[in-house]
Amino acid sequence: MLDQSKFDKITSDLLKPIRINHSFMVWMGFLGVSLIVCLYAYSVQLDKGMVVTGLRDYVSWGMYISNFVFFVATSLIGMLISAVLGLSGEKWASPLARIAEIIALAFAAVAGLVIISDMGRPERLINVFLYGRIQSPILWDVTVVTFYVLISALFLYVPLIPDLKICYDKMNQLPAYKRNIYKVLSLNWIGSPEQIKIIKQSTRILAILIIPVALAIHTVTSWLFASTTRVGWDSSIFGPYFVTGAFVSGSAAVIIAMFFYRNNFKLQDYITEKHFDKMGKLLVLVSLIYLYFTLNEYMVPGYKMKKFDAMHIHALFTGTHALLFWSVQIFGLVLPIVLLLFKKMRKPLPMLVVALFVICGAWLKRYIIVIPTQEHPFLPIQNVPMNFKIYTPSLTESLISLAPIILVLIIITILSKVVPIIPVHETIEHLEETK
Amino acid sequence: MFKENIKLRLTATFLICFLFFLQLNAQRWDVPADKKSKNSYIKFDGNTAKEGEAIFTKNCKSCHGDLGKSNGIKTMNPAPPDLSQALTQELTDGELFYILNTGRNAMPSFKNTLSEEERWKAISFIRSFNNKYVQVLSKTDPTKSKLVKINCVFDSLSNKLKLNIIANEKTGVIPLKDAEVSLFVTRYFGKLQIEKTIRTNADGIAIFNFPKDLPGDKTGNVDVAIKVSDELYGEIESVNKFNIGIPTDKLGLTQNRAIWNILKKAPWWIIITYTSIVLTVGAFLLYIIFSLLKIRKLGEN
Repeated sequence: MLDQSKFDKITSDLLKPIRINHSFMVWMGFLGVSLIVCLYAYSVQLDKGMVVTGLRDYVSWGMYISNFVFFVATSLIGMLISAVLGLSGEKWASPLARIAEIIALAFAAVAGLVIISDMGRPERLINVFLYGRIQSPILWDVTVVTFYVLISALFLYVPLIPDLKICYDKMNQLPAYKRNIYKVLSLNWIGSPEQIKIIKQSTRILAILIIPVALAIHTVTSWLFASTTRVGWDSSIFGPYFVTGAFVSGSAAVIIAMFFYRNNFKLQDYITEKHFDKMGKLLVLVSLIYLYFTLNEYMVPGYKMKKFDAMHIHALFTGTHALLFWSVQIFGLVLPIVLLLFKKMRKPLPMLVVALFVICGAWLKRYIIVIPTQEHPFLPIQNVPMNFKIYTPSLTESLISLAPIILVLIIITILSKVVPIIPVHETIEHLEETK
Repeated sequence: MFKENIKLRLTATFLICFLFFLQLNAQRWDVPADKKSKNSYIKFDGNTAKEGEAIFTKNCKSCHGDLGKSNGIKTMNPAPPDLSQALTQELTDGELFYILNTGRNAMPSFKNTLSEEERWKAISFIRSFNNKYVQVLSKTDPTKSKLVKINCVFDSLSNKLKLNIIANEKTGVIPLKDAEVSLFVTRYFGKLQIEKTIRTNADGIAIFNFPKDLPGDKTGNVDVAIKVSDELYGEIESVNKFNIGIPTDKLGLTQNRAIWNILKKAPWWIIITYTSIVLTVGAFLLYIIFSLLKIRKLGEN
């Protein structure tokens, strides 16, 4: 009987956030208005063309592509936390699996839209499907992004089925049509042994399948750069370099989400300080691996200083991009590693601050990968206006780049208001097992 | 000690001045007197300047920049000057023509890439920036070049190309003696010069040794361009097809399956890898969807 009341408490605690309250309306209103402003900027771009951005002949990939790489990168965390940690039996990570999956799905789904913002004639996207060449990494990218979105959606949905049934059963206060949506989506779940077996098997297949697909999505994204001969992109370690970088920004995103869910949804009993401690250690681990790859990426060409490499590396180390470059390395990578080594720093609030630095650093790091290279082409830049030589993002462009971030926040907010953010069924199951 | 030091300084100063003088000298063009006085047979006007601008934009602007704006490449040594400035405008037409013909250091020769007419038009454009310029026209009659005939005979035994260059004047056939003759074959990216430029003898004859290993088209045909430049008759160019190359039938870069080719000619390994990955992942996804349907069915009973 005591157990039953415990289960009821868990259920009510975890289902409690699923309601529309005042702060939700204010937050969504703010996001909605911001999105409209950004969409207006996009309408200006559609009307006037790409000339409203800072993009010109030489730097033709700017903020939009940096944004795209950042989005794909952050979406990889779903694979790390839900699949890799899940399969390796790290039980502590299971309450965070759904958060990671929601982040993964939102970022991956929006990544496709980010690419469209870089197109002056977006209606021509259809040509990629009509006339795409399978020799081109761009087609591979479109393919793997599509697969990753589908698999992430299923990976979020399949373990959610028992919880949807619980939502249908417990949330009597909801209007009938909303409850019916839960009913339809819960696929007649009765918790029979056969059903449980199928769910377990499907989840396992998805967990295994998502690992190569997630690796592929970011490796192919890196090949968009590495398959050219440009200085700074022509690197054989770009695949693993991008993947490890992805885990850094993704872990930071999960930590930020954990902090807000814990405080706003009153989930202190479920997302505990232990989880923050573990996530802090995970962030240190992935950051160290990333630091190792970063060292390789710059040390090897930096030691040889071949003619064109030297131009690029001087611009990053001591030239026009030096301030950005060193800030990113120090505040976005080295300091977070050092700080998180201390147990005192692996508490919710300090970790939120560190994670914010890491995620900003991660965004700027993509900017550093994408832009400076194009300012140093092999053939010298001659007889062009100043704004062709040095890329400066315009306000319109910045607003358009902000839109996908707002969209991701909207998707995450809505998803966390319709499904329990901590798996209810699994938490109860876990409790029964450890009894 | 002090005295020695003075000596040393004097020597050093003198040496530096001398080197500086050498350096200055190195930047001047040494144009032979006869070339210096050469003039254009084309009258420079607005039209020729306009045509010359197009030629300039295509061939000269990338280094010299826009005329009058002094925005050429400053990092080159010597820096390409703004040709509208006094340094260039003080030169005679013949000097400009000579510079265009020979080139120096980073500046290429345009003798074989631009026709004489095009070179003079480029100079016409450069002169349009100089109000004080007064043209001295050449006495060469451009219509005279039409009288010239080039006869070529190829001797396959010795692999020699014999050219006989004559002018059909009213007074009779006159051989062009001491005329400059250059021989080229047309390749993918421009003309390849065969041997050096030579001069015709008193009978108007010039003989070139033709290489034995020059690739031709499928049947061994080669386009041979002959360029004759004569003081009196001007510039004459004629292109003839000779079956004197080695027959070559290489597959074009886009004829085989290749990464850079169209979708239909993609390499097999990419097609197989891509398709099998898409099918495998797709099959797993279908299996998951099938499993979900099964869950629903199990719940119905």
